[in-house]
Amino acid sequence: MTTVIEADGLTKRYGEHVAVDDIGFTVTEGEIFGILGTNGAGKTTTVECLQGLRRPDSGHMRVLGLDPRTAGSRLRALVGSQLQASALPDRLRVDEAVRLFGDGDRRSADRLLDTWDLSALRRSSFASLSGGQRQRLFIALALLNEPLVVFFDELTQGLDPLARSDVWGAISDVRDRGTTVVLVTHFMDEAEALCDRVAVMRSGRIVETGTPAELIARHARSTTVTFTPPVSFDPAALAALPGVDGVSRHRDRITVVGDNRLIAPVCAAVLGDDDLGPPDLRVHHPDLEDALIALISDTRADRPSLVDGVQGSTPEGVS
Amino acid sequence: MRSLLRLAGTEMKLFLREPMVLTFVFAFPVLTVLILGGVFDEDDPAFEGALPSDYYVAAYIGVVIAAIGLVMLPVHLASYRERGVIRRFDVSHFPRWALPAAWIGVAMVITVVAVAVLLVTGYLVYGLPEPHNLAGVVAGTLLGAFAFISLGIALGMALPSARSAQGLGILLFFPFFLLGGAGPPPEAMGEPMSTISELVPLTHAVRSVQEPWLDLGSPTVHMAVLAAIAVLATAGWVKLSRAAT
Repeated sequence: MTTVIEADGLTKRYGEHVAVDDIGFTVTEGEIFGILGTNGAGKTTTVECLQGLRRPDSGHMRVLGLDPRTAGSRLRALVGSQLQASALPDRLRVDEAVRLFGDGDRRSADRLLDTWDLSALRRSSFASLSGGQRQRLFIALALLNEPLVVFFDELTQGLDPLARSDVWGAISDVRDRGTTVVLVTHFMDEAEALCDRVAVMRSGRIVETGTPAELIARHARSTTVTFTPPVSFDPAALAALPGVDGVSRHRDRITVVGDNRLIAPVCAAVLGDDDLGPPDLRVHHPDLEDALIALISDTRADRPSLVDGVQGSTPEGVS
Repeated sequence: MRSLLRLAGTEMKLFLREPMVLTFVFAFPVLTVLILGGVFDEDDPAFEGALPSDYYVAAYIGVVIAAIGLVMLPVHLASYRERGVIRRFDVSHFPRWALPAAWIGVAMVITVVAVAVLLVTGYLVYGLPEPHNLAGVVAGTLLGAFAFISLGIALGMALPSARSAQGLGILLFFPFFLLGGAGPPPEAMGEPMSTISELVPLTHAVRSVQEPWLDLGSPTVHMAVLAAIAVLATAGWVKLSRAAT
């Protein structure tokens, strides 16, 4: 696989504050790479360095083999960007914006407006658009001129749930056509639905890299099953079932913790005489959000030794 | 090249959709023509032998130049910076210099159009004097416009918000307007005000047009001041736009 983006030893300070602290990662062609982390972790600054919007204080970086510090104007023609904080002139109309930032071809502009459900708004001024409409316009502008790499910073901010899933589908299509996508997000469901690989940032450093499944396997809490048992039920029997690590009782509800294999035997064990299980039975699978919370609330992650360990365990992700 | 023309065309439309621009650049100078041309006695000695309406022709042009450089451009640019429009351009296929280049081009065109509107109005109402040195008048107008456009871009880059640009722009515009040639002639002012008016940059733009038009003297010193303003302001905005990252 061709490497499209590489960063090594990237550092950016704002005065005393180190926003990005000696980070490195690679993104290969045709993947959706997620940069995750809490607010202020340095995600946006990292992407802004790669976009050529900010100059890092030190470090090596290449996008499509070019250095954004010196080849900015050549790169801008090959890269699309949706920024977290930007705007268009209030009195600019939607169709004027698409023609201005596009290559001037009216038909491709029309197609893009159709794809992003903006056709009915073509004569509307930017100031009159809702938050969700603006966001769809910015995504459309990022995809103009068939870029090889697209950066999305908070892709679905301001979108309702239906629009979010539409956008996810469209971004998957973009990747399937071979475009490389870098996605900055703090929505874990979004990262899990879209990203092929992710990097987790905390206090300016990358603390973990891998596929969402790898991160969940390494860091997420176990599978849990919770239910209110029938009156005659003896919870002690559950502890002996395969995959169960522990059983606890809180008021009426029983919580069984363990790995994925526990689900079938536990559910079978709690079936009543009528062959129906407890109506409030819930199964929670570990997800990326659990993994991220474990990662960023783990104070040991600040220690360089752990970061080194992480880098060693994911040689393809961190160089 | 075509995309640059498209950018300039779009910026032109956006300027002309701005009520503030229409008011200050087109309506206000026309009102000035109509008022100043008729307010003085025809044989007032303060006008160095020229008719008052003739004497003020250059001042009308100065009003347009000041409105574009002190109000239109700073407000437009500061609002772009404040709201993140410039960031959006920074990640587009346009080179970094495209937006300032479009502003200079568009502002020059707006200057020419607004000056033409003014001169036609002045001609129809009061008549216009024959320019003594037409090439000098054109050169003075273009140099004055360029100096004030550069100043306007520098102000727009330096000021933190559209509101502060509007406040400072109007605060500068009126003293420049009154002391820079559109107010009473220097001979009619007291000594201190006359000295202050020499320090107002707009005075030099107005003089650079007035002297070749009415054959009042050599505009070389005034044009040198304008050139210095243009160079300093251009260096200033180039530095400010680089410091942004």
